[in-house]
Amino acid sequence: MASDLPQLPSAPGTPPSTGSSPNPAPSNHSPPASGNRLSARLICLFAILAVALILGGWTLVSPVQETFQEDLALPRNYFRSGEQTLRAFASLSKATRNSIVKFNVDGETVALGTVVDAAGLALTKASEIKPGKLTCWLASDKEVNAQLLGVDDDEDVALVRVDAKGLKPITWAAGDVAEGQWAVTPGIADTPNAVGIISALPRRIRPQRAFIGVQFDFDTPLPRVGMLIAGLSAQKAGLKPGDLIAAVNGNPVTNREQVVDILRDFREGQTVTVRVRRAAEEFDASLKMIVPRSGEEGAEFYPQRPANLGAEVSRRALGFERAIEHDTVLQPWLCGGPLVNLDGQAIGLNIARASRVTTYALPAALVQRIFANLNSRRPHVEKTAARLGAMKAPSR
Amino acid sequence: MENIQTPGPAAPAKTKPKEAEPPALPTPAVPKPGPARRQDLPAAFSKEVPTSIADLRAIEQQVKKLVRQVSPAVVAVEVGYASGSGVVISADGLVLSAGHVCGRPRRDVLFTFPDGRTARGKTMGVDRDADTGLMRITDPGPWPHVAVGDLEEARLGDWVLALGHPGGFDLKRSLVVRLGRIIRAAPGIVQTDCTINSGDSGGPLFDMHGRVLAIHSAISSSLAENFHVPITEFFDTWNTLAAGGSANALASQPRAYVGASAADDPAGCRLSAVEKNSPAFNAGLQPGDLVLKVEGRDIPVSATFRRWIAEAQPGETLNLEIKRGDKLLSLQVKLQTPPDGK
Repeated sequence: MASDLPQLPSAPGTPPSTGSSPNPAPSNHSPPASGNRLSARLICLFAILAVALILGGWTLVSPVQETFQEDLALPRNYFRSGEQTLRAFASLSKATRNSIVKFNVDGETVALGTVVDAAGLALTKASEIKPGKLTCWLASDKEVNAQLLGVDDDEDVALVRVDAKGLKPITWAAGDVAEGQWAVTPGIADTPNAVGIISALPRRIRPQRAFIGVQFDFDTPLPRVGMLIAGLSAQKAGLKPGDLIAAVNGNPVTNREQVVDILRDFREGQTVTVRVRRAAEEFDASLKMIVPRSGEEGAEFYPQRPANLGAEVSRRALGFERAIEHDTVLQPWLCGGPLVNLDGQAIGLNIARASRVTTYALPAALVQRIFANLNSRRPHVEKTAARLGAMKAPSR
Repeated sequence: MENIQTPGPAAPAKTKPKEAEPPALPTPAVPKPGPARRQDLPAAFSKEVPTSIADLRAIEQQVKKLVRQVSPAVVAVEVGYASGSGVVISADGLVLSAGHVCGRPRRDVLFTFPDGRTARGKTMGVDRDADTGLMRITDPGPWPHVAVGDLEEARLGDWVLALGHPGGFDLKRSLVVRLGRIIRAAPGIVQTDCTINSGDSGGPLFDMHGRVLAIHSAISSSLAENFHVPITEFFDTWNTLAAGGSANALASQPRAYVGASAADDPAGCRLSAVEKNSPAFNAGLQPGDLVLKVEGRDIPVSATFRRWIAEAQPGETLNLEIKRGDKLLSLQVKLQTPPDGK
């Protein structure tokens, strides 16, 4: 049935196919090698049948290697985020590039920033601003100094002063976003860094799971402590196997799932109060949420998740009050800048690269609220900073 | 591939009534591509590449419209222990999915629509070579559905919409919408730069008329080069799919059955349920057991455990190291062939 097989590119009446167009194939496009690479490193979508699918992938791919010709593939610069496609967005980039800065710590790019005030105030992704010498590149191709002024830990946003004049505050979009609308991530260059569409409407994003170090007794649905992980907060606070958890932060609980559900809302470093019942006695324990890193105490009980199927993700990728999900493939060090619509207005601030298919942006209204809060604390911070000389990024 | 059969118009119903099966539905006919004309689309879709904000607006408008139009028919599917995606293509509930999501015929399926509504059904036929699979909602319809497309009309560079439930169904998030272009095509494959992920498998790739052009199949090491099974593969394997058959050696191999379900737990792979009189039950496994090792190899997550079972043969004995409370136990599980309907 070979004649029934799809013949997309060579179908008669096909308008100028990209392969036969005068555009030279880009140098980075090397089909046979690429085909081999793809087939050799196919990763299956369906964990349970991984091996079977990889075998399937080989069978699926092998015809490509045999019959592959230059005109069967779209040149890479015509991809959704290819250079040619990005050129269509050039007018947006030109309109917004003076509202964007690119932060470096000790000379290494760590994030973009969104200018929110003509006097040089910008917002960015706080967890990427590591300790070190903070500078930033401007659209004018100048590198200037910058000082960290304040941080909103809950939403991972930092307020930074940039030593530059002539910056243009970003224009925030009013109104709702819609699934399928363009979501553009401009930078300080002529064309955007990347583009995508809104994948899902704004919603709360729970934090990465952190732990108090209790393994429940699985012989009962009750929230009864089975085992304590040495070195984590529950063991340190003196909880014992057999203890019943009666409440978490004042919310009464009667089964394990309720406890887990409440704890899911707390991120690493936050503290919860657990009401413990032991025989006739009841007491409160204050427990710090921890994510044991490999090599630390308790790590063997909380193994790191497998790599995210080849995607590079932000270290702080989860835990936001509200976020827009979009499908832009954004490098983690290019978060912090605005996410704009086709009118060049910011619908949000890119806050995390979270998975192969997911980038999160804080919605415009939330960002403006965060800015107002940080800005109201700024005079005090700046006075202190002036006294101390150049302020260093706090170690976090 | 000798298992590919010519799609006949309205394949004659040749279902034999089987004992203990629900009332046999007529064998569904090969779906016909929905009507669509390229010239009805905005001019931006006929360009090699958009060149202006006006082009981008035209694309955006069409994409937003399509998302509203086709979303209700895109389902999350749970088959056995795992989840994927699918798309409903008829009012009585025929669902296209990937072969590797279906696994094999006559398995129970739970469908979840984007609004959270659920429906029960069964896997029908599967072709593991083509990675095509068909399912049917057995609850009474009518169900939201979409038309299938015609790959012969598709071209390199066409804009396409990938929908699905990456990571499984999440009511607060629901469907995830992605846009890309057809970047490569070859017999049996459509490749796009739509980003897809685990859980998208079986989900639909739509053309700009809102018709199903392909089904998500596999990802590559590059985020921008993913694989989809063309709709033509479904037409070519339709007789197998509609008759509830399974084509190719992989699918007809007997599957090993353990009778325990496992879930990810902060500590690793924890058994969430053990069926009575199953191999797991007979070996002494209990819900709550933490599976540390199989055949001496670490089991960091539940998927690793399931993969061991998926790769094993019935009759094989696996050595398990488990943790129950603070006790470490070694158990042997002798796998069996699955009982009916599993």
